[in-house]
Amino acid sequence: MYWQLTSSGHLPDEYDVAVIEGAATTGEHIETLRKVRETAAVVIALGTCAVTGGIPALAGTLDYDARYGVVYGDGIAVARGRQVPVPVTSVIAVDYQVPGCPIDPAEFVKVLSRALMGLKDAIPVDPMCAICKTEENICFLDQGKACLGLVTRTGCGAKCVSLSRPCTGCRGLSPEANLPAARRVYADKGLDPAELDRLFDLYNAAREVVL
Amino acid sequence: MFFRVIDKARLPDLVKGLATEYEVIAPIAKGEQFVYAAVTDPADMRLDYDTTLLPPKRFFFPSEETLMRFRVADNEVLDDEVYAAPRVLFGLHPCDINALLLMDNVFSGKYEDPYYLRRREQTLLIGISCTPSETCFCNVWDTNEVHWGFDVFLTDLGDRYFASCRTVKGAEILDRFVENRQVTDQDTTDFQSVVHGFKNSFKRVADTTQLPVLLDAKFDSPIWDEFGDRCLSCGACSMVCPTCYCFDVEDRLEPDQKSGVRVRTWDSCQFKEFAAVAHGQNFRESRASRVKYRYYHKQWGYLSKFERVLCVGCGRCARACPAGITPENVIAALQTGEVR
Amino acid sequence: MTAIQESAQRDIEANPYRPWPARITSITDLTDKEKLFELRLIDEDVREAFQFESGQFVELSIFGVGEAPVSISSAPSKQGFIELCIREAGDVTGAMHRKKCGDVVGLRGPYGRGFPFTEMKGHDVLLVAGGLGIAPLKSLINHIHDDRHEFGKVTILYGAKSPAEVLFRYQFDMWQHRDDFDLILTVDQPDETWTGETGLVTRLFDKIDVDPANTYGAICGPPVMYKYVIEEMRKKDMDVDRIYVSFERRMKCGVGKCGHCGVGHQYTCVDGPVFNYWEAMNLQGAI
Repeated sequence: MYWQLTSSGHLPDEYDVAVIEGAATTGEHIETLRKVRETAAVVIALGTCAVTGGIPALAGTLDYDARYGVVYGDGIAVARGRQVPVPVTSVIAVDYQVPGCPIDPAEFVKVLSRALMGLKDAIPVDPMCAICKTEENICFLDQGKACLGLVTRTGCGAKCVSLSRPCTGCRGLSPEANLPAARRVYADKGLDPAELDRLFDLYNAAREVVL
Repeated sequence: MFFRVIDKARLPDLVKGLATEYEVIAPIAKGEQFVYAAVTDPADMRLDYDTTLLPPKRFFFPSEETLMRFRVADNEVLDDEVYAAPRVLFGLHPCDINALLLMDNVFSGKYEDPYYLRRREQTLLIGISCTPSETCFCNVWDTNEVHWGFDVFLTDLGDRYFASCRTVKGAEILDRFVENRQVTDQDTTDFQSVVHGFKNSFKRVADTTQLPVLLDAKFDSPIWDEFGDRCLSCGACSMVCPTCYCFDVEDRLEPDQKSGVRVRTWDSCQFKEFAAVAHGQNFRESRASRVKYRYYHKQWGYLSKFERVLCVGCGRCARACPAGITPENVIAALQTGEVR
Repeated sequence: MTAIQESAQRDIEANPYRPWPARITSITDLTDKEKLFELRLIDEDVREAFQFESGQFVELSIFGVGEAPVSISSAPSKQGFIELCIREAGDVTGAMHRKKCGDVVGLRGPYGRGFPFTEMKGHDVLLVAGGLGIAPLKSLINHIHDDRHEFGKVTILYGAKSPAEVLFRYQFDMWQHRDDFDLILTVDQPDETWTGETGLVTRLFDKIDVDPANTYGAICGPPVMYKYVIEEMRKKDMDVDRIYVSFERRMKCGVGKCGHCGVGHQYTCVDGPVFNYWEAMNLQGAI
């Protein structure tokens, strides 16, 4: 196992399985990713930042340089070759994805197991409401409160809602999400339809490049 | 049938008595809504509930259950025993009992589902009369009345319950656990007045005339595209439905990859991949075709086999659908050609 | 049924979801994507109880991976062994392709309604297959072959994408030199070695004579094929209730519970997978 955060040693030239966390934020990241893809038999994107760009991608909206300046001051290059943060999935093809902020370790184990068995990625594609209903949660939308479960990729067991917090969309947009219909639902429930998109940006600002 | 009258104040005795031998499941409050849950103190029960978030089907057909444990090496089943403890479901409304009767048809027959049926055998059902809520439309399908499928049915006569005992077991538990008396003519008169009042208190009506024919004749109607545009494909309707029984099956391996469990989970025909086959063909690719299929199956597919529609008018899907797609608007749209 | 078969039947019925171990006794590479597996149920009583008809399917079960419906390719008369022609498409079929001779997998079944073999006796039969659709029809062809004298003229039209994708070629080559069957093969994309017909299977109808009052049709192929083949059969005046089609759907449980294989108002797994055209016409969205 090679874990770059804990070692400054050189990365190996080949991998059987590469598990990649985090968004790509520098040119060097992009290069590393491409090299890993060429040599690894299996690539797994782990966590929301790697899968959807997550919160780092939020920085990429509007004027990234100006925002960077606000934090680090003008003219200071903290990260060489920095670029607008993007998800791993937009740079290289990945074989498996484990979204979530944080991830569900059980889901990661399941994905590893599938990878070892040579099975296809079985990442859920549907929105979350179904599993939320099986948990007998009281719907936030019915209470006039914004929740993103109706467009977010299922698979987390609706943990947040079960703990009385609305879904914040950390697992990314469900490929089956019906966004125009979801905006109409917001309007019907007395919420601003634009609020759906605004809230969704938190973990999914880079959704254009993901889809 | 065999009838008894129970003083309302004595009902907790019945629950306490049952709790000595069974797990008692009854409606309790969750926020401003209700759920079925295990109760030990009769005071927690809320027999005045309108409906529950999930129907009682999960006590026979859980949202997730292990079918069998297996060993990979020789593809051998290690254990497929069905574990079902004695249980009482207390306080079911007529719609939910009728729903179980519809589920029974599916899980029995030529291929008996041991998991569902074993739990069904191990469970006593005690029904209770209700007051229609805003979303109830059981009157449309005649499922506001229930004549079998329960052990005891309690009709609320104000200060007492008119108890109909359908089974030997039902009669037995009444006699063992709660003080009761014979029915008088006055009790029967009051019973009649209560059930008439109930029947006349429904607010919802739906024109179900020739629905199976309309579903076929209007199969290509644009109403389905409109419902498809609205549908979130979230499957909430199927989860809360007391008669939706579709399931998916998946294998989960232990970390050592040597053994594992085969698990079944609730599924929904509203999910994109529900009708897709491995070669890539998806027989219900569009949202519209999936919404349509749900109604087509409930109002005609099931009917063609079991002579009943697969809906009991409990109104849960109408409450649960974020997009406001309800059986009432679908049926109305089929009749009028317009989506309201 | 013998007492042993009855007791095995009871074991099977006790849990219809329980797969029974079956050993792979032979594997034949048919094309790049398809292999023919011969399987033998290990438990003798279960094996005895496994009686099927052409057109029925089994659930192939590989623990740790899942289950997939596969139609049976061998004839019912081939006792003790079951042949499955499997294309590598999903997880289960992929895992099956990695299995070796002697490995053990699971089987449940047989399920569904097959072809009306007894009813077809005494008549001509016209079988039309496209691609992998030959798999269930091969069971029927072999079964007819066993009782060949009971049938009239038997015609097989079979279309594949390319010569390399023609399944059971060895058997067709054998049959082509016999009078038992009139066999016409066609491919969409011929190569330089191909001497047979080219184009879609529907084009072969010009080359055959059909006695409509006396002919049963059996069709299996990719979903797009049915409509056009049925049109050709109808042009030949064949009766709607003598044209039989076999459908592929997602038969997940095989026993009419899980709902995945719903087609129109029916379930493919228990009401089909073989339907006559009159029934199929009444299944919304089937063809």
